[in-house]
Amino acid sequence: MVAVDSTKAWTELQQHAAQLTGSHLKDLLNDAQRFDRFSFSYDKYLLDLSKQRINDETLKKLIGLADQQDLKGWIERLFSAEKVNDSEQRAALHMALRQPAGGLLLHEGLDVVANVQDSLQKMQALVEQIQRAQWRGYDGRPIRSIVNIGVGGSSLGPLMVCEALEQYAPDEMRHLDLYFVSSMDGSELEKVLPSLDPATTLFIVASKTFTTVDTLANANTAREWLLAASKQPIELINQHHFVAATASPEAALRWGVPEDHQLLLWDWVGGRYSLWSVIGMPIALKIGMAQFREMLHGAHKMDEHFRLTPFENNLPVLLGLIGVWNINFLDIHAHAILPYDGRLAQFPAYLEQLEMESNGKSVNRSGQRIDYRTCPVLWGQVGSNAQHAFYQLLHQGTEPVMCDFISPAVRYGDDGEELQEQHQLSLANCLAQSRLLALGDSMLTKDEVPSSYKHYDGNQPSTTLMLQTLDPESLGGLIALYEHKVFVQSVIWEINPFDQWGVEQGKKVATSLLEKLAQPEGSDLDASTNGLLDYIQNQVQGMKHEN
Amino acid sequence: MRINIYGSGLSAWVAAACLAKVGNDVVIDEMAGGWQQSLEEISIIADEPGLLVQIQQQITVGRLVRRQRELDMATDIHWLALQPSDQKVAERVVDSLKPLDISGLLVVNQCNFAIGATEALQGKLGKLGDIVYVPDNLPEGAALDSFLKPMRIILGLDRHGALIKTKALFKPFSGNLDALQLMSSREAEFTKFAITGMLALRLGYINELANLADQQGVDISVVQDGMGADPRVGHHYLAPGCGFGGQNFAAYVSTFSGILQQQRERSLLKTVLDENELQKELLFRKLWQYYQGDIKGKTVAIWGASFKPGTASIDHAPSIKIIDALVSQGVNVKIHDPEAVANLQLHYGHESLIQYMDEPLLATEGADALLLVTEWSEYWSPDYVKLRGMMRAPLIIDGRNIFDKDMLEQYGFEYIGVGR
Repeated sequence: MVAVDSTKAWTELQQHAAQLTGSHLKDLLNDAQRFDRFSFSYDKYLLDLSKQRINDETLKKLIGLADQQDLKGWIERLFSAEKVNDSEQRAALHMALRQPAGGLLLHEGLDVVANVQDSLQKMQALVEQIQRAQWRGYDGRPIRSIVNIGVGGSSLGPLMVCEALEQYAPDEMRHLDLYFVSSMDGSELEKVLPSLDPATTLFIVASKTFTTVDTLANANTAREWLLAASKQPIELINQHHFVAATASPEAALRWGVPEDHQLLLWDWVGGRYSLWSVIGMPIALKIGMAQFREMLHGAHKMDEHFRLTPFENNLPVLLGLIGVWNINFLDIHAHAILPYDGRLAQFPAYLEQLEMESNGKSVNRSGQRIDYRTCPVLWGQVGSNAQHAFYQLLHQGTEPVMCDFISPAVRYGDDGEELQEQHQLSLANCLAQSRLLALGDSMLTKDEVPSSYKHYDGNQPSTTLMLQTLDPESLGGLIALYEHKVFVQSVIWEINPFDQWGVEQGKKVATSLLEKLAQPEGSDLDASTNGLLDYIQNQVQGMKHEN
Repeated sequence: MRINIYGSGLSAWVAAACLAKVGNDVVIDEMAGGWQQSLEEISIIADEPGLLVQIQQQITVGRLVRRQRELDMATDIHWLALQPSDQKVAERVVDSLKPLDISGLLVVNQCNFAIGATEALQGKLGKLGDIVYVPDNLPEGAALDSFLKPMRIILGLDRHGALIKTKALFKPFSGNLDALQLMSSREAEFTKFAITGMLALRLGYINELANLADQQGVDISVVQDGMGADPRVGHHYLAPGCGFGGQNFAAYVSTFSGILQQQRERSLLKTVLDENELQKELLFRKLWQYYQGDIKGKTVAIWGASFKPGTASIDHAPSIKIIDALVSQGVNVKIHDPEAVANLQLHYGHESLIQYMDEPLLATEGADALLLVTEWSEYWSPDYVKLRGMMRAPLIIDGRNIFDKDMLEQYGFEYIGVGR
């Protein structure tokens, strides 16, 4: 099979990029029609690519590349439950999680949509029981605090959405406090537990496999805390203080969570695509089940847009192809995510996992090493804060960086002038930064000719993604947009975005190192690790002598 | 005298019945088409002992009329007995008096709106007449007696001119009193709230002590007697229990708490109210702890559901919280109450886990626990042998501390009280 970088479409794009080398964004942006030609809207979303280093020809050729890679066929395969995750022989059906009830999708003889709806129903019943203050802790008082124990996809998605949609929490849920605990060293748990009343605290243990070491370590600590405080038998604590969100009901049962309090997902839901499932229970507890379903609805609409819209106007396809253009043809390998809205503070961290865990690969679907670039390094922060942190590098550093500016157009509708003015200030900064990145000095007037250290090159490409407002529906759509963008890129790069073998090996090595930490003598590992083990051992011994 | 009364709550109907009884011609305006309901259907009337009969008598003799459409409004005495949330309605009533062009109007305000509300209404009425605030201190269950033979009457008035007519109006009820207590309307409003809040604080405190006594192995009823013997403390409102309820009491306390909270982040009274809501579930928690949370499918008998004995009202009653909690856990609930069953049926509609029983003993058949929630007199001395025979598990959880612990244990029961 011919690798994509040896194909006609690829080579043509390389030649096209070479022709464009000389053109600076400040020249491209001279064209008054540029926004009309390179901004695309669908529903409540606007995708502006006019600050990307492209022309009409670029988009045509990129779509040609997508056609050549049979993107259409891949989308079809993705949506019809084929095993697109070939290394694990699984389908990737996160879209089924947001499909409305009544749809039909068969997978290995199972009615997936019906299964999903059953699982959501069960979650809804538990959520409403907690909401009505009728879930009881060991002394009979209602649960008031919920701690989500999970890591990776079982934490980042729910945490990000809960923070983004906090204002939508209905009054009847505001008496509930929600916490997220993930780090395996117990730091978060140690901080949270003293402020909680064990009798009124419920833990959600979210782990697809229910073998995740980080999560089980935290869950065990939480259970010990409950046992010590309550002096009740373990069965009682398991029964009334734990919910499991998992694809491994047997493992959850072995740990102690009874079947009634297990919420199921399936192996065809990837961890980083799982916030739509019962893994999203914290979201439902924050904003209520009705708005959780609105979020699903927003994502479902984006699914339909992705599946049915011609590539020329297809937002996920265009966003994905622009990334490919920047990475593979303009040689840009850093990607900054810059939301200009504090509610999206966790969105960059969420995308770090979604994009880098999905497309951080260097072997194609045939198992061959590839010699073109795939997922870039991706990071970010709330834009207005990042301006005081790493924007220096964006404006004057040596690394080319592509940026995604994300903001709602309207905010604080009923909240008074001062806050509305703050949103205006934020928008002004958002537009100013993308403008300065693109134009550089050229936007300054003639009499402001700068000295060399005040010089801005410009020509840093960026995408601006605007939502009408940030609400459950539009956030659902925004997340789905990026999920599909990741898929588009994986098709171009011929890699499998749904596995993560690169994170498996580390877990095994850690297990063996745990033994070495207990028995460090005669360790036969590499010199560096042996040295570090010795150092730790010496420090521990030293402390013991002092005591 | 001719009096128009505005309102459809307990205080409006009691005032209407009593003022008519002593010879006044009374028109009651129930607002918003209330007159279309028959008297028997109005639960607030049906629930109050003797009230329905008294109203019917006064209607029969023609001294009490329910206002339908435009009746003759040209009277000089107007009596506002509206709900705490109806201040706007009161303002509209006062506005409607202006075109009557009668001078020397007397408006009696019995509504617990807010401190300063009477002054505000006076401002609207202007020089046409005077507004007097007379706090309503009717205890549900004994409201008629309390109106006809009050211990005291507080009159809050800001202009001395109003005193003659006001005294005449209250003369039939104040005969046995040395003096009416006179103060400004603002002070009278504050006093009303302050009394109610004080009672709530006492109840909240004794409940907190009872919960502590539970953990300390101390019998709260002994402590309670000791406290009450101190004349500075006294015995009244010192009985611990599973929370206070009732339409008026709960609503006043909550309004006053709201006023206090406008001034401060957190008030003592707010804490008492929050704790009271928790206290209402106390019997459920005791059951839960006894069975270590394993109560699904069990059967529980409840004796008494009205918020206190002598009324059919279940407004803010602890029984509602307990039944909600039991049903949510899949417990079968068998309820007896001498008067409140119709209201419970209305509240719960068809709920397959709830049964209503005609006899207290029938409710205990096959029960894994008996919860005594409201201390109706017929529950105080049951046939213990029969009761023991009816129940599957002989567990009695006494929310009002009416049973003798040692005696019950002799009969083979397990007894759990509040603070003992």
